[in-house]
Parts: sequence; structure tokens; C-alpha cells
Amino acid sequence: MSALATTGEAVLDVVRDVKDILTMARRTVRVVLRGRVERKAVVEQMHEIGNRSVFFITVTMGFIGMILVFQSALQALRIVPDLTILGSTYGEILIRDIGASIGGMMLATRVGAGIAAEIGSMVVTEQVDALRMCSADPVEYLVAPRFVASVIMTFCLLIWACFVAYITGMLTAHMVFDVNYQTFANFMLVDRGDVIIGLTKCLAYGAAIPIVSAQRGLATFGGSEGVGAATTSAVVSSSLAVIVLQFIISAIGYLIFPG
Amino acid sequence: MSIRFEHVRKAFGPKEVLKDVGFEVGDGECFFIIGASGVGKSVLIKHLIGLLRPDGGSIYLDGEEVSRLSEKAFYPVRMKCAMVFQNSTLFDSMTCAQNVALPLRKHKNLAMKDALVEAQRRLETVHMGEFADAFPPELGDGMQKRVAIARALTLDPEYVLFDEPTTSLDPVSARRVDQMIRELCDKVGVTSIVVSHDLASIFGIADRIAMLYKGTVRMLGTPEDFRTTDDPVVQQFITGQADGPMEV
Amino acid sequence: MTARRDPWLLRGPGALGGVSLALGEQVGGLVVLFARIIARLLPPRIDRYELVRNLHRMGVKSLPIVVVTALFVGAIMVIQAAPLVTRFNAREIVGWGAGFATLREVGPLLIALMFSGRVGANNTAELGTMTVTSQIDALRALAIDPIAYLVLPRVISMIVMLFVLTVIGDIVAIGGAIVAAKALLDVDPRSFLNSLFVLLNEWDLLTGLIKSLLFGAMIALTSCHFGLSVKGGAPGVGKAVNAAVVAAASGIFILDYFSSFILG
Repeated sequence: MSALATTGEAVLDVVRDVKDILTMARRTVRVVLRGRVERKAVVEQMHEIGNRSVFFITVTMGFIGMILVFQSALQALRIVPDLTILGSTYGEILIRDIGASIGGMMLATRVGAGIAAEIGSMVVTEQVDALRMCSADPVEYLVAPRFVASVIMTFCLLIWACFVAYITGMLTAHMVFDVNYQTFANFMLVDRGDVIIGLTKCLAYGAAIPIVSAQRGLATFGGSEGVGAATTSAVVSSSLAVIVLQFIISAIGYLIFPG
Repeated sequence: MSIRFEHVRKAFGPKEVLKDVGFEVGDGECFFIIGASGVGKSVLIKHLIGLLRPDGGSIYLDGEEVSRLSEKAFYPVRMKCAMVFQNSTLFDSMTCAQNVALPLRKHKNLAMKDALVEAQRRLETVHMGEFADAFPPELGDGMQKRVAIARALTLDPEYVLFDEPTTSLDPVSARRVDQMIRELCDKVGVTSIVVSHDLASIFGIADRIAMLYKGTVRMLGTPEDFRTTDDPVVQQFITGQADGPMEV
Repeated sequence: MTARRDPWLLRGPGALGGVSLALGEQVGGLVVLFARIIARLLPPRIDRYELVRNLHRMGVKSLPIVVVTALFVGAIMVIQAAPLVTRFNAREIVGWGAGFATLREVGPLLIALMFSGRVGANNTAELGTMTVTSQIDALRALAIDPIAYLVLPRVISMIVMLFVLTVIGDIVAIGGAIVAAKALLDVDPRSFLNSLFVLLNEWDLLTGLIKSLLFGAMIALTSCHFGLSVKGGAPGVGKAVNAAVVAAASGIFILDYFSSFILG
């Protein structure tokens, strides 16, 4: 009986979490659609999210590109000693999925933690209460600018991420496996569907990460311990959101564009 | 057997907190270090157990110069000289009994079960026996303080440092803590150094007092000396006046 | 004293220098912590209770999220491979295609990243809070070595637990892949497993597991280092957690790259 209760409790927790996140999403979108987002705040957040993450994304995606091509080539050589299609398949997978998703997970970590830590600290030092006292809506002032900034910057960052991973992959293929640059840079396999799916993912992740992390940040309580807990929860939940969205979009994408 | 500070200097960046501090604490004394907030009282006593190192001067504990000892070499010193922190700083993840049992397990090599039994006994001496299985965040400040004192005493130290023991306590709890400190000096023979700006404590239980002001010892003497001094800065502090020559 | 603004030509190199110094400081701190931990391993003195407590906490708490992640990873690998499989009509080797990526690379990597977020961040937050509330100083005042008592059990627990979770995760991921392969590509589970076992060898599995040990060490080191060097109250703890997960992620990728080359 207690095993059932524990599972039931876990399920209820998840349901409650999802509900809280969807509520936050609804409130944020409403604020954005009413045009009540302050431009200066958005630009500030774009700097915070974008500029501060570029180095991190470049480094991680650069390494991922090298690793992926290296591993794929090794495995492919076991089956078929011909690497001519390596570049084109790599390009397709990168654009359709990996660039956005791995980059998205990295951003979930970096941006998610940042947003939750910032907002969480503000909660704990009673700055958010002060906002409410001035009849200012925390969602409007804190969450919406970060949402808009994140959608824009994540979109740009993830396109950059694909680019970086592609370049390092191409360099690896050439230097380690002697694949000609022209042979590698073959985009014939990349079609409209791949690009649409990839860009949809960029937008989805850019929207999900700030909402999840801001919700966690605003739900902080309990001093420094609480801020730590909120930041942890934001990283985990944002990453999970990216994975779940990746799965959903990939699955739908495969059904619509199977090529 | 005593504690001696000689010409101790300590600065944090450009801010010189201690300029030239020197005084001696005798055996079995209940010694108070007083002064305004931020004057450097806590900074001073942290030097005795090596949580801070001086920029200059010497510090002697039982005749041994301790200011240049390595972290490891400080361990025997810390077992002789215990500290009760300002915010009690009990370990949140353990019960009160486990808090008190920890040093017993580590230094007296007691097994967990025996350590918990001994911890229970020690908690009872500070009237906290029934809260042995409670977690620190569940207790009030005064109760946490008593558990912290019990934990500090587990190694049977010869010296105990108290960093503002009564600062966040209500008057009744504060007097109880004062009583505990006085009993330690009288009945157990422990030398106590108490950092405080609680006038009731200072004039209640102190044997001798040193007042820190602007990085040096402004005055050193008995409570009676302090009460009858002409020094205007000292007078301002001990009579609690807002206006006066003291620069804070 | 007013801040001097450097002429614009110097600003770039200045910023670069500043970043390098900051990076060097953190890397140096990690190395020092690593040395201190090793020093306390020989002879090994560990608090048994802390070790057991941490093993339990870190393992049990991460299990659900690792299982969920692994399921999705397995399914996603199949979805990735699906267009290629249908294009080349290579249904028989789906098992291998999804499998090698999962076991060698993506599995250990994503599980490590989730572990870093869940356990690493939590650890930094805990140690950070203890630092800010002087509990670390209180340990030192009791003549108890914080590195031996607090850090060592946590480091060992994280390395052991990530390894165990990676093994479990690998199994679950293959399970998820099998389900996805059947649902999307109508591939028989048996033929899936067949191609997996025939075309992959033990070394492939082993590289993934060795990586998980390295990742565990990286996560443990970074989370403890950033936790213990927190300054500045509650906001400081938040910043430390942020820095710790970013550092762990970067470190994991860099380690992944070098170990891929070395392990082949």
C-alpha cells in the first residue's frame, strides 16, 4: 500500500509541477501579447543570456562536433570503408536535431541556473515582495523580459551552435580521416523538413527554459539553502523540458517529414 | 597557563581592523572583550584557534606561540580551546545529539552508540536532554546556543571562546547563558573569553574587561574600574549613549 | 579614485587577460582541492556514516530522473537513425546504429549532465550554505578536517553512484530504443538486440563506463570546489551553483573529447 502511495505522491508532484509551469507560461504569454514588456529590460537580458553564454556554447559545441564526427567515422568504417556520406549525414542530423538539442541542454544549464539564482536571490532578500507592494507584477517585470530575450537569443545561439559544431566536425573529418572539405560539405541530404524541425526546436527550447527556471526562482523559500535548491531544481527541470520537447518534436517531425 | 596577545595587527584589504592589540588573560578568568559592532572583537578571538592569521604581532596560548602554526598543527590547540560561534552554527543535517556526538566520535574514538549516550548526558547538563532528537532549525535561538555550548565542551577544553553569546537572545535566555558561562569558570575551572556588547552580561559576570576601540585596547580593568573611569569614550559605551565622542 | 577607462584598443586584450586570470584561478583551485583529496586517500580515513548517507542520497534521489532521461535518450537515438534507416532500408542494423551512439557517447554524456544538474548542483548548494553559515568554520574549530569529513565521502559517493546510474541508464536506454524501434520502424526487438550484440564489442561498452568514472570525478571536484569557495550570502550560493554546473558541463565535454581520442 505504501509503494502505491509513494508512486501516487510522485505522480501528483509531477502533475502539480507541470500545472505551475503552464500557469507561468500562460501569464508570461499574456504579458507579452499585451505589449507590456519593457524594451530596456529585454535588451539587458539579451546581453546577460546571449553574450554570457557565447563562449560556453562555442567551447561545448566545438568539442561535441569533434566527438560526434570522430565516433561516427570510427563506427562507419567498421561497416562500410567509405566516408563520402559522412558529411551529409552529419549535416542533416546536426541541423535536424543535435545542434539545437545539445546546445539547448547546455543553455538549460547555463541560462536556467542563472535565471533561477537571480530571481531566487531576489525572493529571499524580499525584493520581489517589495515589487508586489508597488503594485508591480513580478511576471511582467522579471519573467517576461527574460522570456522574450531568451527566445531571441537562444534562437541565435543555437544557430551559431550548429555552425560551430559543423566546422569543428568538418575539420576533424579532414585532419583525422582525410575527408575532403568539398566531400564533407555536401548538403544534398538536408531538406526543408530538417530545417523546419531544427528551427522549431530552437524556438521551443528558447521559450521553455526561461519559463521553467523563472517559475522555480519565484517559488524559492528559505534563505541560502532555498536559493541553492531552486537553482538545482531549475537546471534539472529545464534540462528535462528540453529532452521531452526534443522527443515530442522529433517524433512529430519524423511522422510529418520522414525523409 | 594563559593567553597573551602582543602587538597584534590585522587588515582586510585597505581596512586596518586591528592596529596594535595587546593584553593578557589569566588562568580561570571570565574575561570580556567589549566594543562597538565592527570594531574587530570577533576577528580578534578567531586568531586564537587559527581561523584567521595576524599580519603582525604574536599570540601565545599556554606559552606556545600560535600565530604561525599550520592548519594541521592547530588541531591540538583547538582541542584545548573551544569556540561557541555567534549563530550557534550547529550542523543542520544532524540532530542535536548527533551534533554533540560528532567530536566525541572523532576525538575520543567512541563508537556511534556510545557517543550518542554520552551526548545525551551532556545535553542534560545544559537542560536540553529532551531535545536530543530534534534538528537545530526546529529550536529557538536560546536552545540552539545551549546545544552549541554542550558541543564545544565535549573535548573538555581548558579555554572556551564565546562570540556574542547573548546577542540574539531574549533577556531570560541571555541570563541563563550568562549563568552557564560563570559556572564554567567557577566550578569547572575553564578560562572563558567572551566577546560581547551586552551590558547586562558584561557587568553581571565579568572578572576583567578589555575594550577595543579604533584597533587598540582602549581600557583594561575590572568592571568597577570601567564604571568609575573618566574616559569619555568608555563612559559613552557603558552608559549606552547615542551622542558622544565615540566614532563608530 | 575613479575607474580609468582603457583606450579601446587595450580593452579587448584586457578583457581576455581578465578572463584568463579568472579561469586560471578556478582551475588552480580545482587542482589544489584534487591534491588535498588524494592526500587524504592514503591512508584512507573516511567517515563511514557520511559515506553511507551520501551514497544513499545521491543514488536514490537521481534514479528517477536518470531512468526518465535514459528512456528518452534511447527513443531519440532511434528517431535520429530512423530517416537514415528508411533511406538505406537498413532495418537490420538499427540496433547497432542506435546502440553504439547510446552506449559509447550519448548515454554516459547525458546521464552525466543530468547527474551534474541534480546531484552536483545540490552538493554545491549544500556546501555553499554550510560555508556561508560558518558551519565549515565550526568543523575546523572542533579540530575536524572538513575535507576528510565532508568532501571525501561526497566525492567517492558521486563517482560510484554515477557509474552505477550509467550502467542502469544504459540498460534502460536500450529498452527505450527497442520500444521506439518497434513503434516507429516496426523493427523486431530480437533483431534489434541481435545487431546490437553482433556489431558492438565489449570495449564499446567499457569506454562508456570509463568515461562515466571520469565524469563523476569532474562533477565531484567542481561541485565541491565551488561550494566551499562561496562568498556573499544567499546570492553567493546561487552564483556558485550556476558556476559549478557550467564548469562541470564544460569539463565533461573536454574530458569526453580527450578520452574519445585516447580510448579510441
